[in-house]
Amino acid sequence: MEFLSFLDLSFFLLVGFGTLVGIIFGAIPGMTATMAVAVCLPLTYALGLNHGLALLLGLYVGGISGGMVPAVLLNIPGTPSSITTTFDGYPMAQKGEGEKALRICVIASLVGGLVSAAVLFLFAPLLADFSIKFSYVEKFLIILLALSVIASLSNSMLIGIFSGVIGVWLSLIGDYSISDGGNGHTRLMFDFMEPYLFEGFSLLPVLIGIFGISTILLEAEKGVKRDVAGERVKIGKESAFSFSIFKGSFTNLTRSSFIGTFVGMLPGVGGSAASVLAYTQEKNLAKDSSQMGKGAPQGLISSESANNALTGGALIPLLSLGIPGDSTTAVLIGAFTLQGIQVGPLFIPENHDTWYVMMTALVLANFVMFVLMFFAIKHIAKVVMVPKHILYPLIVMMCVVGAYAINYGIMFDVWTLLIFGVLGYLIQKIGLEVAPLIIGFILGSQAEVYFVKSLESFGTYSIFFTKSPIALVLWALIAASVVFAIAMGFKSRARQKMELSQMHDPSHTASGKHHDSRND
Amino acid sequence: MKKVNKLFVGATSISLLLAGNIALAQEFRGPVRIVVPFAPGGTSDILARYIAPELSDAIGQPVIVENKAGAGGNIGADFVAKADPNGHTLLLSDLTALLAAPSVLPSVAYDIESDLDPVTMVSYSPYVLGVSNRNEFESFDELIEYSRENPGLLSVATSGVGANNHITTERLIQDQDVDWTVIAYRGGSDATRAVVSGESDMLLNGTTASLPFVLSGQMNALAVTGEERLDELPDVPTFRELGLPGELDGTYQGILVTAGSPPEVVERLQTELASILSTDDIQAKIAEQGGQARPSASPDELRAWMTEQKSELASFIESAGISQ
Repeated sequence: MEFLSFLDLSFFLLVGFGTLVGIIFGAIPGMTATMAVAVCLPLTYALGLNHGLALLLGLYVGGISGGMVPAVLLNIPGTPSSITTTFDGYPMAQKGEGEKALRICVIASLVGGLVSAAVLFLFAPLLADFSIKFSYVEKFLIILLALSVIASLSNSMLIGIFSGVIGVWLSLIGDYSISDGGNGHTRLMFDFMEPYLFEGFSLLPVLIGIFGISTILLEAEKGVKRDVAGERVKIGKESAFSFSIFKGSFTNLTRSSFIGTFVGMLPGVGGSAASVLAYTQEKNLAKDSSQMGKGAPQGLISSESANNALTGGALIPLLSLGIPGDSTTAVLIGAFTLQGIQVGPLFIPENHDTWYVMMTALVLANFVMFVLMFFAIKHIAKVVMVPKHILYPLIVMMCVVGAYAINYGIMFDVWTLLIFGVLGYLIQKIGLEVAPLIIGFILGSQAEVYFVKSLESFGTYSIFFTKSPIALVLWALIAASVVFAIAMGFKSRARQKMELSQMHDPSHTASGKHHDSRND
Repeated sequence: MKKVNKLFVGATSISLLLAGNIALAQEFRGPVRIVVPFAPGGTSDILARYIAPELSDAIGQPVIVENKAGAGGNIGADFVAKADPNGHTLLLSDLTALLAAPSVLPSVAYDIESDLDPVTMVSYSPYVLGVSNRNEFESFDELIEYSRENPGLLSVATSGVGANNHITTERLIQDQDVDWTVIAYRGGSDATRAVVSGESDMLLNGTTASLPFVLSGQMNALAVTGEERLDELPDVPTFRELGLPGELDGTYQGILVTAGSPPEVVERLQTELASILSTDDIQAKIAEQGGQARPSASPDELRAWMTEQKSELASFIESAGISQ
């Protein structure tokens, strides 16, 4: 085992340092794993390949998992793939269970990361051949599947769909690029906006604005009483964390980890689709999903195990084909080329040592992430005890800095942040929902591109059904998800009716309850 | 101990270098930025990162690489075009893409000829014509023969509408008068994926992207651009050997600077960069990227090349109808 000679002290220190810095990047809204890797890429020039990879993989794993911290504590997804973490994390934090929520997230992340690393190690070349069979047609169907779950995400199907459609509409603003099969003209805007909106609204400022700034506006509206924050939020007092929370979550963990790995290995589909799919599959398949969205650990488990499983998944096509699975691995290519190594079909057979070094770094980074976060959480979670009149201005400042930095200094991104902050506030005021809207925003334009490109490549609508068996399976899943959402809608309406009738007729209470529990 | 020694030597030599350069450094006051209008990790970015430390040593000022990606390189180029014309903001980019942009895009916010001044060409990267191993074409002639017998049957992948390899593909189609379905993918790696999976039949793409697949047998190389065959593919003929025109070409990377920068600064940059690009070390590194170092003899040489390329590209793109 020659590769063991590369594993010296500095290797371990670099993995640790990378993971720590990655977590910080992930935790600051507007800074991402991709940025962390890009910023540190030039350092690898001096470090050499193996040490460089140790640093970069640490940054990657840390950056993806760091997103959970603001998602849970502040309702701001640090990265697009932690959107679903806010659904249950923030309600838990509001109940004073932020610490517990973060611990659950960390464990789920570790499992997701390790499952995907194992899949990468054992099946990389095999799966790579499978993943390139996903043409635009199959990618469109996967995104359609993720979009189809919007309806079942919200309390009222109609409001969910309506919010989702607004999100899709917003995502279409900008240039209808010729490369995407469009006509090269801008859509849904006036000419004077063209200099700013040619590329549309950029994702992260929208995300941080609509979640973060709007949450702060909603809180500010309540009025901030000096120094009471600490009293209201008692961290970890109400119900302490214990590993028994994970009892019965085996299926959820495994399913979500595999969904994450799978979506990760499809180039161009993106992390948000992974966690959304994992979250809604849990919601549809779990025995009891009534608490999801109100602070249920199972929601955190599915979201976080799926988004950390992206790491191993995205490395599969990178290392066995040279095709990056996501934007961060695209930057990793640079680290290889800087050292004169070609990632591609010959990489693993010809660079055995590097391959083992990478696997070691990946697994190690997951454990370092776990140790760093699990024991630091007690302190990190105290963030919410900072009096709000001090905390919120700081968060707004960080959001603004992050929005400005995300595309390396474009002022319009800051305006986007503020516009969507106010928009997010208004949306919630009039009773619409933010989650379906943002999912529509992220996936809408992607769905369009893949739909148009499919038609451009294959020239017929029937291709969506005849392309491959994979396509048919995906259609079946889409149909199941839609039918399920409708059935759920009826069920919850029936329950509401029953609750109403119970209020009017107390004699039915007992039988009604009985009926209720059977339904769940 | 060893490490400490190295550090000490390093620090001393840097301070000596700085001291030695003070006399030479009047042209440069403060750090020099190399703006790369693409994401980190791409060809332009890697070249910039190779060059930056050498240039820094040569001019005695820090040289920083900055990525400003978007709109096919035009956001970063526009940034440099509108920067302070003091010669401290450089643009390292794929020149073919920037020169084609005014003909391909509906609007470009700057004029490459009047808003940017040339400094030097950096490198040339040839293209490889790779076909999917699903079709067993042994030679370029066989491919063309089959295409003539079966018009419209073969499809060719490109990295996007108006991308360099799209323009070159259209040249090939026009020159050979074949009927191929051109499919614009989203970026080079997506196009490569399509050919490897057999969804598309072929593509013209840079050697860095295609060579690994050719060497692993997942793609067959039928021809390469440029004047000479590639060292890695000695059996694959050049298009010129096959009797095709020289306009079927690869891509060129070059360094430009904000227009109106002091001529002495631009000249100094050109001299330093030309000597950096002539060292064996940098040439070997560029070769690893599948390129060949091509420093210009003077800024004017590059200017003449750019003017010629731009008008040639404009007339070809119009005749091929690439910009709608």
